[in-house]
Amino acid sequence: MRKRTLNQRMAGQYAILVLPGLILFTLGMMIPLCMAFSYSFTSWNGLDATKKWVGLDNYIKLFQDKYVRDAWLFTIKFTVLNTVIQNIAALLLALLLDSTIKAKSLFRTIIFIPCLISAIIAGFVWLRIYGSVLPALNEILGTDINFMLFGSKETVLTGLVIANNWQWVGYWMLIYLAGLQSVPHELLEAAKVDGANAVQKFLKITLPMLAPAITICVVGITTGSLKVYDLLVSSTKGGPGYASTSIIMQIYNTAIAGRQYGYGSAMSITLIAVLLLIAVIQLKWLKKREVQM
Amino acid sequence: MKQKKRGKTILLQLLTIGASLFFLLPVLLVVSYSFKTKKEMLMGSPFSLPSEFMLENYRNAVHKLDLVHTFSNTLLYTAAAVCILALLCGAGAWAIARRREKFFKFAYIYFIIGILVPAQALFIQIFLVGNTLHLINSRIGVICMYIVSGISFGMFMMNSFMNTVPVELEEAARIDGCSVFRTFFNVVVPVLKPAYATLIIMQSFQIWNEYLMSSLFISKKELRTIVISTQVLFSTLKNDYSTAMAAIVISALPITVLFVCLQKYFIKGMTIGAVKG
Repeated sequence: MRKRTLNQRMAGQYAILVLPGLILFTLGMMIPLCMAFSYSFTSWNGLDATKKWVGLDNYIKLFQDKYVRDAWLFTIKFTVLNTVIQNIAALLLALLLDSTIKAKSLFRTIIFIPCLISAIIAGFVWLRIYGSVLPALNEILGTDINFMLFGSKETVLTGLVIANNWQWVGYWMLIYLAGLQSVPHELLEAAKVDGANAVQKFLKITLPMLAPAITICVVGITTGSLKVYDLLVSSTKGGPGYASTSIIMQIYNTAIAGRQYGYGSAMSITLIAVLLLIAVIQLKWLKKREVQM
Repeated sequence: MKQKKRGKTILLQLLTIGASLFFLLPVLLVVSYSFKTKKEMLMGSPFSLPSEFMLENYRNAVHKLDLVHTFSNTLLYTAAAVCILALLCGAGAWAIARRREKFFKFAYIYFIIGILVPAQALFIQIFLVGNTLHLINSRIGVICMYIVSGISFGMFMMNSFMNTVPVELEEAARIDGCSVFRTFFNVVVPVLKPAYATLIIMQSFQIWNEYLMSSLFISKKELRTIVISTQVLFSTLKNDYSTAMAAIVISALPITVLFVCLQKYFIKGMTIGAVKG
């Protein structure tokens, strides 16, 4: 009997260790989540005391709103391009840094440095590079290549994808590198003895062993790109026109600048739904491949 | 055979150098620009080196960024948020790992929701909660906001380190009459030092560079972070790019130095879960 009460008292003490975090998290994340959900059914403008219930109107409006559709289109294109290019580039660079070359740690640091700066700065640096540095290259080479990638609606996506890759490839490269370094040497040696060539070794041993790293990188890059905002603020500001307005920027413009908190909340909820859906699908699909090996 | 292998290595080396130039050149350009005079900037080629090491730009940038204030603000927000995060996540994750009751299992899943639903997607509502609690334009508010946005990852990360803490040691401490809290501070915390280092570095780097949330929470000039004042500087400077470039170097330097010194912990934090087994 006494033992049980002691155990209970200890459980209480352990609970005290969890509680402060739990309370803060509830206030700062869970209540906002519930608020977003309930506001998304109202036409609240952020000022009125009453929040008028409008049912699914906001969600219906989302599908008819051209700006929202364009913002989603840009965000999805940006995300798909980033996921494909960044994964491949990061894996290739990791393979290079895991090979027989010299000065590995120097190159690793160089490639990683852009990750350390704020996306605000990265955006501004690439604005200058496209705006004045690369055009000067034209004068030197006597060519007439259009480097002003942020200047037109057709090229702004390419420009942003390059800037985003410049910043983040090093981060994912380090994760692939850690994965590569954990591939047991005996396995590769054994395959070599059995007469496997480099491509076979990569496809049959290295790639399956990299499965956990691939999972992390694919999910990380996808969800990270869907949330793009900082990079745009200092470079294109969503333009030219609305050609590079991401979904978070659209939420900002709608809710904060346009004072449509109800409508903005509906956008937040759809973004969260998309993030959850993609994470679940990717995790399920990628985890299945991890088990199969 | 050996010759062929050397040829391959040289080829790979050249490829690596080529690839790293893409990452390095913009950085070098920024540093080179930051020393150039306005005239060199406008008239000269972007690829030419500065004629002298002009510190004028840096003096301007320090002044325009209001560096003394913004630097100490950023340092305060980052340090306070990271220390509280370390305390909350270490203690919370330990309690969750040691107890089997439903409450603790629920708490873990509850925190993990925050990884799947990122704070950036809820920035309006977090701002509204902050507004209701009078935490906008307050240092405490900014720190709380950073704690909330980092707590899910922190719990997850610290939880994955808990198997490094030997349970026998905790039991021995308990038999000696230590309370739960003393066991945590005297036995668990020392063992978790590497985990703490990893958590602290990962979070500092994110908080130092954060823009969206802090720009909503801060509108008063004297509360600004470095990143916010850098963005303000970018949007107000018309042609004075050399000052902007000096500002970039200044705002990126502290975190770069931290990274170079503590690379080991940093990489460990990034690669959790990336390695099988």
